[in-house]
Amino acid sequence: MEVDREDGRTQNQLRPLACSRNVLHRAHGSASWYQGDTKVLAAVYGPKAGARKNENPEKACIEVIWKPKTGQTGKLEKEYEMILKRTLQSICILTVNPNTTTSIIIQVVNDDGALLPCAINAACVALVDAGIPMKHLAVAICCCVAKSGYVILDPTKLEEQKMKSFAYLVFPNSVHSVLPEGSVQGEPMEHGIVTSVTHGIMSVDDYFYCLERGRAASAKLSDFLRRSLQQHPTDSSKAG
Amino acid sequence: MEGRLANAWRLTANDKSFIRTALLSEIRIDGRKPYEYRKIVVKFGREDGSSEVQLGQTRVMGIVTAQLVQPYRDRPKEGILSIFTEVSPMADPSFEPGHPGELAVELGRIIDRGLRYFCYLLKDLIEAEVCQLYSSNPLSFLFPRMYRAYSVESKAVDTESLCVLAGKFVWAIRIDLHILDNGGNLVDAANIAALAALLTFRRPECSLGGEDGQEVIVHPPEIREPLPLIVHHLPIAITFGFFSNDSILVIDPTHNEEAVMGGRMTTTVNANGDICAIQKAGGEGVPQRVIMQCLQLATAKAAGITKQIKEALYDILWYHLLRETTLETGELKCTTQKEL
Repeated sequence: MEVDREDGRTQNQLRPLACSRNVLHRAHGSASWYQGDTKVLAAVYGPKAGARKNENPEKACIEVIWKPKTGQTGKLEKEYEMILKRTLQSICILTVNPNTTTSIIIQVVNDDGALLPCAINAACVALVDAGIPMKHLAVAICCCVAKSGYVILDPTKLEEQKMKSFAYLVFPNSVHSVLPEGSVQGEPMEHGIVTSVTHGIMSVDDYFYCLERGRAASAKLSDFLRRSLQQHPTDSSKAG
Repeated sequence: MEGRLANAWRLTANDKSFIRTALLSEIRIDGRKPYEYRKIVVKFGREDGSSEVQLGQTRVMGIVTAQLVQPYRDRPKEGILSIFTEVSPMADPSFEPGHPGELAVELGRIIDRGLRYFCYLLKDLIEAEVCQLYSSNPLSFLFPRMYRAYSVESKAVDTESLCVLAGKFVWAIRIDLHILDNGGNLVDAANIAALAALLTFRRPECSLGGEDGQEVIVHPPEIREPLPLIVHHLPIAITFGFFSNDSILVIDPTHNEEAVMGGRMTTTVNANGDICAIQKAGGEGVPQRVIMQCLQLATAKAAGITKQIKEALYDILWYHLLRETTLETGELKCTTQKEL
């Protein structure tokens, strides 16, 4: 089904992506991720000594601070912080540095739709830049379901508001396995889902269709992520 | 407690003595001369009223938004200008989230006081009225058809202000400054970011309507062009650092120098040579002649920085102009700024 999107994209086309690493000088790791007009800046400090209150001191603790573009931090920002924290907790190796805190600070530079996926992507690149040990990376994508049933990827803010429902999906990125082909049993890891947040009503079939489309797009995102991370050689180390 | 001490960034004793010794021979650790400013880069976002300033390694983002609100009950005819300075933990490992330290609070207050005192009266294009500016009086940003003078000492506020409907609707201008990277001298960078954002900000046009003329209709930007602000002079904050040996003076200290210096002073001047404010909060005592020297230096630097801001602004306004020209099928619908 041909769908007319305002900026001329097809259903499954993502907006132009841009990613840079090491953009800040004081932060241990930093990254900026641009998806079309949605721009997010992420900074990582850590690991710092001491776990936060009520956190398990036998594991590394992750703290997320979300700074909106304008206005006070409210419930929406707290929700984003919680989702981001749980997502990153599942991809970082928490047993390596027990009783430490890694802080991730997200600053929204511009919001034009798909803000949370953009932030998750930026946070992953910033964690890589800081050298925090992780099991694998994550790529996030937003899928919208319209009233007539078609699914579009990576909506702009206007599209998000017009759609019946949308889902933020986070997949593990595809790995280039060092093991020979065929030795991995069961389903490959990138078919798993790390995080899924839905807004609005969608049928079960719609949801599974979103997952399929999202997974296909996440392969492209993984490639882009790998290419951009491999390009920049790390700068000299920063102490403080 | 231990954790927090362990996480605090400290400069080693060797680094400190190295900085001091180098300054005796007028050498700074980043290769600058004592009275040299770092490179300033002013960038603008796609929307009106968003700017990003890089002063060497220091990075600050400024966002301006406007809202129609009810005025304060004791000031029914005045608009509201508020400045929020977010010292984000992104900028410095010692900034704790939710618990602003001394530095963060002071920074917020200096910038707030500086901007509030340095807003200018803006000229109304259509009415072509020029307001007298007194260098010691705090001034306010002017919106076309609305302007206000703001003087904190005398509390003399011009009643023709951001007021749309007295007692019911006024414009509340909110400036958010996000400190992204602390490379030293946050006040200057934040000041430039706030000025740049205010200069590119355009507020929607509104008119009174409805049955009894009590309703305010805000015209969306697609229907009527939003109104830009016109500024006549810019107050620039220049920060000096004092070092105890032989009263050495440096301009625009980096965060390493800030950890070593004995005192600091921020002067806010404009390119015309008017002194808008001086802030020296504690620190070591400095002889009078040094203060005079600082003021002279500041005026010279302010001229250079004002020129840089105007050049960056000129580029972005040309871009906006071209964008609006093509949108309106070749006809120029927006009003241009006569003087930049």
